[in-house]
Amino acid sequence: MTDGILSRVARESSGRIVAALAMRFRDLDLAEDAFAGACEKAVTAWRLHGTPYDPPGWLYRVAERRALDALRRRKVRERSVSDPLLSGPQLFEPEASPTIIDEAGLIPDERLRLIFICCHPAVSVEARAALTLRLVCGLSTSDIAKAFLLGEVTLTQRLVRAKRKIADAGVPFEVPRPEDWPQRLDAVLSTLEVAYAKAHEDAAGAGAYAGYAIEILELTRVLAELAPQESEVLALAALVRYAEARRPARLDDYGAMVPLSEQDPAVWRPPLISEADSYFGRASAFGKIGPRLFQAALHRAWCKRKDLAEPPPWRDILQIYDLLLSQRDDPVVRLNRAVPLAEVVGISAALEELESLEEQFPSNFLPYHAVRADLLRRAGRPADAGDAYDAAIALDPAPAERMWLKRRRQSVLSDVAKQ
Amino acid sequence: VTQYMLLIYEDERIYGPDKNGPGLEEIVAKHMVFNKELGSARIGGAGLKATSSATTIRKNKRAQTVHDGPFAETREQLGGYYLIDAPDLDAAIAIAKKVPMLRDGSVEIRPLLGGL
Repeated sequence: MTDGILSRVARESSGRIVAALAMRFRDLDLAEDAFAGACEKAVTAWRLHGTPYDPPGWLYRVAERRALDALRRRKVRERSVSDPLLSGPQLFEPEASPTIIDEAGLIPDERLRLIFICCHPAVSVEARAALTLRLVCGLSTSDIAKAFLLGEVTLTQRLVRAKRKIADAGVPFEVPRPEDWPQRLDAVLSTLEVAYAKAHEDAAGAGAYAGYAIEILELTRVLAELAPQESEVLALAALVRYAEARRPARLDDYGAMVPLSEQDPAVWRPPLISEADSYFGRASAFGKIGPRLFQAALHRAWCKRKDLAEPPPWRDILQIYDLLLSQRDDPVVRLNRAVPLAEVVGISAALEELESLEEQFPSNFLPYHAVRADLLRRAGRPADAGDAYDAAIALDPAPAERMWLKRRRQSVLSDVAKQ
Repeated sequence: VTQYMLLIYEDERIYGPDKNGPGLEEIVAKHMVFNKELGSARIGGAGLKATSSATTIRKNKRAQTVHDGPFAETREQLGGYYLIDAPDLDAAIAIAKKVPMLRDGSVEIRPLLGGL
């Protein structure tokens, strides 16, 4: 019973506690170790004395004292005891019983600062998302390693290196200066996008780490709360909610991917959609349109559909892509735009567009082959479509997409046989 | 406050042979202005003569050998440095972004050992 409460509290409040400790002591490792130590201590203490009145507050206070003890030991080793931080009365306080240190609401929310540290441009790009998930969301290294398809040892080394870089290079434990804010905020948002993409990708598969999509929802909520004037922050919060709202419809009974236009809106989650709508409304109120607001608008257009019998919103989707294209002419945007283009203008127009793009993608770019295969299938060219499906399947898609591609390929092969 | 070394890498050929070309005067003038701007944050700094003037001592096992030329042949060469005081990396980055360069180049920011 107590252990269940402990693991829930540890999971829910770890980001807040680790962030507060990190800012207080300006040391990520110390914060992490102290929090882990407090959780360890809670296992026996809570069993003995019962669950404290304010479990997160208990963990924070115990962790704080452990950090101070660790600092003192470190200083003694270094034979310099002149640090004023260490001469405070807390050091010599006897071990207080849990009831004495119960005080609600004393943990300052420093998560925004921690997010900015984890996503600092001086931290390697590969490490930023992992470090954020570890420190701000409290995910275990083994869960993160699984989501990133890395060995746990490799991931741990990456985290260690990133934390050492932050300490050695002198990354400030502050939110960025105003002149650095836009660039730094963009790094944070990109990091969250990478982290969410991992969670989203996986959800279509086995679903073993789908759990941490919840952390991304929480992170984007916190970020939106702390930076309510940033359109792109609100847009990202909307975007992940629209995408998560559709999760129950993303796989069919066999575990194969269901394309957006065939997803049944009846099983989407209306509460997440209305949350997303509210973020989207606020994000659009600023008058400037960033890339994440466009992405959110695409999701929103789909989420407006109420019923499978309703025609898919292809015209709206195409219009949004046209707008996006006018802001950022990029081959991936053009490729995605080819899908609604085929629906609204025609399949041959979409195929022509794809031909003009072919040289801009590396030959192992899976989405290109998948889109092309589908267009060839619908253009009545099953043999060419079959080749394109083969090319896509050879590129090792995620299990749900693989199943779907194979099914489509099977159907064009039977068309070839009929011809 | 940490001390940071800013190592300036540029393609030295743009300053002419032996760094005697017209580009040098231009960049020196820019560095004078930058030095003033740095004020007390500047602990030290200098431009370096071209890598053609470099001599490298290599030590392996017990032998020390002396070689003509820089430590490594690269497209951009270490051409000068600043030693600065900065409260943190963001402040050092802000300063490094202002280091004058004639064309393309890089500034590597390295905290000094024991600078904390």
